[in-house]
Amino acid sequence: MRLDSAVVLAAGEGTRLRPLTKHRPKPLLPAANRPILAYVLDALIDAGVDDLHLVVGYQRDRVQDHVGPTYRGRTVTYHVQEKQLGTGHAVLQARDAIDADFLVVNGDEVVTAAMVEAVMDAHSTTDAATLGVVESDRAAEYGAVRLDGDRIVELVERPDDDTYRLLNAGIYACGPSLLADIESTTRRAGELHLTDAIAEQLRDGNAVRGVRIEGLWSTATYPWDLLTVARDLLAAGHVDEPERSRGVYVDETANVHGDATLQAPVVVGPDAVVGPGAVVGPDSALGRNVTVESGAVVEGSVLDIDTRIGANATVVDAVTGQGVTVGPGGAIPGGEADVRVGTTIHENRRLGCIAADRATIGGGATVAPGSLVGPDASVAAGAYASGVLPEGAEVRR
Amino acid sequence: MCGIIGYVGDADETLSILLDGLSNLEYRGYDSAGVAVGGEGLRVEKRAGQLDTLESALADASFAGPVGIAHTRWSTHGPPTDANAHPHTDETGQVAVVHNGIVENYRELRDELEADGVTFASETDTEVVPHLIARELRAGRDPEAAVRAATERLAGSYALAVVVAGTDAIFAVRHDSPLVLGVGEGESFVASDVPAFLERTRDVVYLDDDEFVRLDDSGWTVTDADGAVVEKDVRTVEWEAEQTGKSGYAHYMLKEIHEQPVSLRQCLSGRVDELDGRITVEELDDLGDPETVQFVACGTSYHAALYGAQLLRAAGVSSNAYYAHEYATAPAPVSGDDLVVGVTQSGETADTLSALREASRRGAETLALTNVVGSTAARESDHVLYIRAGPEIGVAATKTFSSQLVGLNLLTARLTDRGVERRRDLVDDLRGVPNAVQAVLDESEAAAVVDEYVDADAFFFLGRGLDYPVALEGALKFKEITYEHAEGFAAGELKHGPLALVTQDTPVFAVVTGDGDAARKTIGNVKEVEARDAPVVVVTDGVAEAGRYADHVLEVPEAGRRLAPLLANVQLQLVAYHMAARLDREIDKPRNLAKSVTVE
Repeated sequence: MRLDSAVVLAAGEGTRLRPLTKHRPKPLLPAANRPILAYVLDALIDAGVDDLHLVVGYQRDRVQDHVGPTYRGRTVTYHVQEKQLGTGHAVLQARDAIDADFLVVNGDEVVTAAMVEAVMDAHSTTDAATLGVVESDRAAEYGAVRLDGDRIVELVERPDDDTYRLLNAGIYACGPSLLADIESTTRRAGELHLTDAIAEQLRDGNAVRGVRIEGLWSTATYPWDLLTVARDLLAAGHVDEPERSRGVYVDETANVHGDATLQAPVVVGPDAVVGPGAVVGPDSALGRNVTVESGAVVEGSVLDIDTRIGANATVVDAVTGQGVTVGPGGAIPGGEADVRVGTTIHENRRLGCIAADRATIGGGATVAPGSLVGPDASVAAGAYASGVLPEGAEVRR
Repeated sequence: MCGIIGYVGDADETLSILLDGLSNLEYRGYDSAGVAVGGEGLRVEKRAGQLDTLESALADASFAGPVGIAHTRWSTHGPPTDANAHPHTDETGQVAVVHNGIVENYRELRDELEADGVTFASETDTEVVPHLIARELRAGRDPEAAVRAATERLAGSYALAVVVAGTDAIFAVRHDSPLVLGVGEGESFVASDVPAFLERTRDVVYLDDDEFVRLDDSGWTVTDADGAVVEKDVRTVEWEAEQTGKSGYAHYMLKEIHEQPVSLRQCLSGRVDELDGRITVEELDDLGDPETVQFVACGTSYHAALYGAQLLRAAGVSSNAYYAHEYATAPAPVSGDDLVVGVTQSGETADTLSALREASRRGAETLALTNVVGSTAARESDHVLYIRAGPEIGVAATKTFSSQLVGLNLLTARLTDRGVERRRDLVDDLRGVPNAVQAVLDESEAAAVVDEYVDADAFFFLGRGLDYPVALEGALKFKEITYEHAEGFAAGELKHGPLALVTQDTPVFAVVTGDGDAARKTIGNVKEVEARDAPVVVVTDGVAEAGRYADHVLEVPEAGRRLAPLLANVQLQLVAYHMAARLDREIDKPRNLAKSVTVE
């Protein structure tokens, strides 16, 4: 059935993506050169959903600033989740605006319009809910699902069991009665989860439909996953900018010098600048107003809005937040390394570095593979930095 | 300022379209509202107060008819009362009129009509208009001729929309007050401002002075003062109707403060060339090389003008900023070698238009620095530079001020570029501004700082050099929306008088950017107020280490001499906003104020 309304969940920080989430929630992190959330909203609108409800919370200003009062001419209604008490709790914030079957979509996972359409097509008013499921060998890292025909029989969050092959794609079609069901669902550690509410439906013997969907589904759990997301999107050509030559996407307002080299796949966003002799790509995305000065090399990297890479600098396998500066001759050489997130060590990750909003890496400085540079942290000219640099930290020579 | 909306189309929809239009015009500021729906008869309802007062008055009445006019009034002649609200009618209730502007000869017209035995129902200048029209109708003229004849008697400024019972048409005319047509499918609109009907159509026709328009079920016809048909271009406006929503913010003002990184990017897009180190403003290709530049502006735009004049002087061009209302009556000497720049967000500010016209009459080249494409200032000036800030609804200007400052940097670069000089430093600074503004928004502590001064007696703002206009703007913003007493001073002027006002209950906000002579001297002034026990808040980029003399510091990133003041102003926007929110003020519609001041 056709559904008019969608509730998009965009309130969560995504703590495992720190330090990139210092000033914005996960849905606004860059998927190639646009926020993940932009892909979600585009998929909904392209699938014919016109009534958009955004649940916002953590750093909600940023979502509101980016999306605005309307998105592609459709009115966007904001619902504030003051405390992030789970996805079920988030959906309930939009309860007063819902009176018919509706969609719930995670705002932090890239999906396509065809996926949204497939879920709507499969759903009928006799289903308590319909979930889109995607085949993946990484299902156990997300919400994993088992199907019996077109019925979901099991729904588990991050099971420690690699026999699962289907994951919950975060696209739900729901009957209006589900709202009351969410309210009566048992909280876990004070939180109310949408998947718990659906699991309770399963236990009560209500019909929960699962529909296998295909296409590009991509998300980030850890900061370096943003490099994979960008690679997926670029490989599929799923970017907004016009294709200048095969796999080379350049916005009309970007300014790429005639002597610069763009290696496919690569995307260059609006007002971005690439100087003479610079080499950008492959697998790289430049956000709005990014500058890559002459002779610099950018490879396998996602550079978010306003980032500036100085002349002759090298940036490999890096993710930058907004307004990051790498001085002339600075080096992020890239490669494999062990990365520490909180108390966990992730071994042998391919990661140049993560540099959060407005971090500064001075001219001639070197940042070791696997480093996490916090917001407003700075590495002095000529210095060497490695490991985790907290917010505002300074590394001197 | 007053708002007009008129509609011709579906009889059952007339009332709801008029009410939607009024609510879209609310942002202009108003104190009463009314509607008239015509067709067979003519029904009028009007009320002092907010729109919902009018709506509840309409609730139990049936108002249908194929034509209607409506109005939000911002009082000039006579207090806000039901009687003084528009539409105004003649004695028989056959003619209804809404009016923006001021009828300057209304006293003599009123005396004349009263001598004829006409009884007036209100104290407004507008009411003479329906009585004049009624007299012409009684003399046997048809409605169109009657409206024309009546407007010939008027002196002053006006945008008028008129309905006459028994005629399914609206007659409208303008003179020195804005009026636009909206062209829909099977329906048409007339309004003082595009947002009034933007939900229904984006195809608009801008009327020029003394043009007369008739809207009826066959469409619209524009004629000149002599009745000859005028061919008009239909333009499509780019703004989205819904761009006027609050996107989840409590106030438009806060939304607009947060929009600044985006609006500044729009202002710069395609105009600064990083690779070439050049600044190009396409619209200004045919701008000459003036000897002097005079700025004319009012309110916030005047503060931008002060900043622009200083930029130009620093670049070796003789330049001054004038209040437009003063300039219109006491202009500075000007000749054909000079450029007069009108800074006006709306492009409809009556005082600024008068000053530009005066300058043009005296032979100067004119330039409008404005946000509104197709506005009167844009159409009447020799040149126009658009700041591309997008619609601004909050009465207190925020994002448009920032875009004006960037626009003035572009203009300065254009006027001082001799074709050889590269401006790489300025290009870098400009491209860095959106990110620097984002940093201020992400990290500002303005809300916490104002909390400490809620009970203060008065608030003073100091600055020197390019920080001086920011101090003035900081104080203006503060007084506009908090209703607390606030004054901005040139820092050096302090000890020549204002220092007498400084006590331990008057917080002083000092703007100190860079570490030049100006910054060092302002720090000296900060010490003067500290010695009087005044709490000091320093807004600074930290270069001059002014923070050590302050009780609180509001930091901004380093952004270069020219642009650091813009960032300091963003902090002061947040100071004003958070104080007003703390005091629970009507932030988007402060009392007595209007968004665009279209009367002199």
